[in-house]
Amino acid sequence: MKEESMAKNTSKTEKKGALSIKNVTKIYDPTGVNVMAVDNCSMEIAGGEVCMIVGPSGCGKTTLLNAIAGFHSITEGSIHLDGELLCGPERPKAEQSAERMVVFQHGALFPWKTLQENVAYGPTVQKALSPSQAMEKSGQMLAEAGLGNFIKKFPGEVSSGMARRAEIVRALINNPKVLLLDEPYRAMDALTKQIMHESLLETYDRTGVTIFFITHDLEEAIFLGDKVHIVTTRPCQLKKTVEVKIPRPRSYETQSSEKFRKLLVEVNDAVHEEAVKAFKAGEREMA
Amino acid sequence: MNSSANTTPVAPEGFNLFIYRVKKKFTGPDPYLTVAGVFLWLFTYWVLCEGLEIWRFTKLPGPVAISKDWFSTTPFQGISIFTAEYYEHIYVSCQRILIAFGIATGLGVPLGLFMGWSRSIRDYIFPVIEVLRPIPILAWVPLSILLLPGFEGPVIFLATLASFFVTTLNAMLGVDSIDEEYFRAAGCLGSSRWDVFKNVVVPGALPFIFTGLQISIGVAWFSLVAAEMVSGDLGLGYLIVDAYMNNVTVPMVIAMITLGFIGYFSSACVRALGDKLMGWHVKELAQQGR
Repeated sequence: MKEESMAKNTSKTEKKGALSIKNVTKIYDPTGVNVMAVDNCSMEIAGGEVCMIVGPSGCGKTTLLNAIAGFHSITEGSIHLDGELLCGPERPKAEQSAERMVVFQHGALFPWKTLQENVAYGPTVQKALSPSQAMEKSGQMLAEAGLGNFIKKFPGEVSSGMARRAEIVRALINNPKVLLLDEPYRAMDALTKQIMHESLLETYDRTGVTIFFITHDLEEAIFLGDKVHIVTTRPCQLKKTVEVKIPRPRSYETQSSEKFRKLLVEVNDAVHEEAVKAFKAGEREMA
Repeated sequence: MNSSANTTPVAPEGFNLFIYRVKKKFTGPDPYLTVAGVFLWLFTYWVLCEGLEIWRFTKLPGPVAISKDWFSTTPFQGISIFTAEYYEHIYVSCQRILIAFGIATGLGVPLGLFMGWSRSIRDYIFPVIEVLRPIPILAWVPLSILLLPGFEGPVIFLATLASFFVTTLNAMLGVDSIDEEYFRAAGCLGSSRWDVFKNVVVPGALPFIFTGLQISIGVAWFSLVAAEMVSGDLGLGYLIVDAYMNNVTVPMVIAMITLGFIGYFSSACVRALGDKLMGWHVKELAQQGR
């Protein structure tokens, strides 16, 4: 029955990149004691949707992302992308692929390659483009992202905001179905963050790629997302989904609207409860 | 020169940039302090040996005696910059170092990289290396003389061995030092295992490799001289022991100072090569103000 509803989902929305996470459980046993990071977690993410995952620190959000990206295996359940099995009972670990691009928390542009070489890397190793074509396209895409003057610079020479923007370009040049972002703007100051949000929204409006975005920042979650999935403290389960019915394109003024404030309170209530639980659990573990 | 009040200043390039940097260097205290430091040391040395003739130091040749011989066309104790013998010793030692350092780098870097990259290669080789590594180079001397014929073989073997361990270990640690996220990013971007090796493992380990190579060339000199003292027919190490045996102290000190300068120069070469290969790293450090 579930299979049917999913098939309907993908045919209805023509956009690619529908993620279906079903009853996923992940158990770690690093010290022989089982730690359940994710417990029977299910989520449906439509193609072309911006899906924000919010939850307390260390709750297992990144575990979920790692499973989708193929960095880690899952213990039970299954994850499908556009109806195709990524990982499930027969295949615990998804294969890494350029259709699911990750943008990392600390940034993972290769410091030994220039921005242009970094962006050209994907199509070159996949042999989708010849090295010179890849470099050309990379230069173009970086210029479109406003980084035209910095293509010959190394990541260490540009600001963290520019590096993050270049990293998103490096992901997008591969035409991924899903963009997986793990708190990419965490270490940024509020002003840079604002610019990053606008740049990401602009990119999204242009490409319509599905975005799976982990964050702690509730305003960020509502400002960017179509849906905000609030997950519980460890083990990670879906607690509540808040739909953000604010029309796109959105601008930063959106954040002062009545609707935005109301959503913020709603999300905050749900998250706060979990944060308190997480804190108490942490105290217990320490004691 | 290029700038005036109403045009934006143009950054100097090429030769002009070099001149600018040299000029800038001499505006700070660093070069003067270096010169003052050198003279202070020389002066102390002179005072001890020749000025006040302190007890025991009279056995050593002072700076005046050394420079008189070193720069003389007819050196009293046989070695000066005008004797062919001096250059023969330098040439032989340098040649040995080049061979030893070349072999050690050629074997050590790939081995270290593969050990860092593949768990199973590491499991095979690392424990053995870790047991062999702490054995002092001088302890290998008898074995190397038994094993290898002639003078050259053992000497080069010993210098290579010392250098090899340092290089291998640093290359391996270099791979360990690479952030896991670069491997994941490379995986996401569709890299084959070989792509990862070329584009992540090698460049990511380079800073450690070059730190290792700088230490390793020093260690190579160190063990070369030790080996030349024990078993050798030529070379700077041999010159030191030979001079000592014949009770001529000036060539002994000349050889020591020469070793110092050549060692300094060879490390500088390795460092320069490293900086050339790792433009990104140099710029990154510069950005952090280092």
